[in-house]
Amino acid sequence: MHLTSEELVDIAEGTRSENSAPHLAGCHVCREQLVDLQSMLSAAKDVDVPEPSPLFWDHLSARVSAAVAMEDDSARRKGSRFLPDGLRVLVDALMSQLGGRAFQASVVLAAAVLLVVLVGGRRPAPAVTEAPVVATAEPRVDPWVVPAEDDASLTVVASLTDGQDLETVREAGLAPRGSAEHAVNQMSDSELRELRRLLNEELARSGA
Amino acid sequence: MPAVDSRSLEDLGERELVEACRAGRPGAFDLIVERHRRAVYLLCYRFVGSHEDASDLSQDVFLRAFRGLRSFRGQSTLATWLYRIGVNVCLNRVSAKDTLRRLTTPIEAQQFVDVRAELPSDLMLRNERNARVRAAIARLPRKQRATLILRTYHEMSHQEIADVLGSSVGAVKANFFHALGSLKKLLAETA
Repeated sequence: MHLTSEELVDIAEGTRSENSAPHLAGCHVCREQLVDLQSMLSAAKDVDVPEPSPLFWDHLSARVSAAVAMEDDSARRKGSRFLPDGLRVLVDALMSQLGGRAFQASVVLAAAVLLVVLVGGRRPAPAVTEAPVVATAEPRVDPWVVPAEDDASLTVVASLTDGQDLETVREAGLAPRGSAEHAVNQMSDSELRELRRLLNEELARSGA
Repeated sequence: MPAVDSRSLEDLGERELVEACRAGRPGAFDLIVERHRRAVYLLCYRFVGSHEDASDLSQDVFLRAFRGLRSFRGQSTLATWLYRIGVNVCLNRVSAKDTLRRLTTPIEAQQFVDVRAELPSDLMLRNERNARVRAAIARLPRKQRATLILRTYHEMSHQEIADVLGSSVGAVKANFFHALGSLKKLLAETA
């Protein structure tokens, strides 16, 4: 009885000795098959893979990393579908800036906008008065407007954005159309809470 | 909830590294890529015979691995799991016809091989022979091709190949036997 394919493979690869298959010595067919197997194994092994440049490996890692980041970003966007439009605009703007100066700038800007809202408080709708508006020579004073030098939140913004030039801000994609600020101004309290949670999460993740 | 491992990523074993990835620890997946990128690239190259395509496919393999990391149960090694993804990606994405077309013009490949110690005539013969063998491997049926590549070039055991291909050790050995037999016939056709 001839050797099975399994036995021939084992002998050809050397994991089984020829002595363990006495049939082989007297069988021309099996012997020929074994020689063919060994010859093809050797031919296949001789085919080498050209070695890529040593720089290639880091390049490959960077490509994978970028693709994974994009994947992550996409997953987050899907996850934020439930968010109101205004909040999603801001979150998307932040998420799209992952990496480098742009991300840093966007985090700083978003944090600044958030601080303005949270520290400064939101302006309630002005009360409707029944008294007729009378034009006067004196400048009108809005009780909700705090002089810039007295506003602590503006100081915080100034310190956070110090060193961020207009170019950086533009690269970050948040200004000048005021999309982030506009979005924040349109938010309800619950949306603001969600924004704060997302920003904290992002700041913690980026180690900022 | 598992405790967060505060050790350096470099100190983590395979399973812990996977856990770190799942937990969203920065750099964990990058390290997995770094540890396995060479093997994955070489696997892809063996299937497609082109540096560019092997790079693209390697990226795809890792991206799929990232997506599927949560489903990795640790029943096989991470390498075996990545090989499984790699074989599927390669077999699904690349038709034998495409591979054959590339492999019959291995000019790009020749540029990378260190040939300094070889006589030009020997080099030419070797390149010609290698191109024929590559082309013949590309024409093998899918499972035979995968088996031959994993066994010959990645030195995987029959059991590991069976895990990758979702078959038995006996089937792997039979596939290997038939792959070598087919290779002989295909090489004879082009002699």
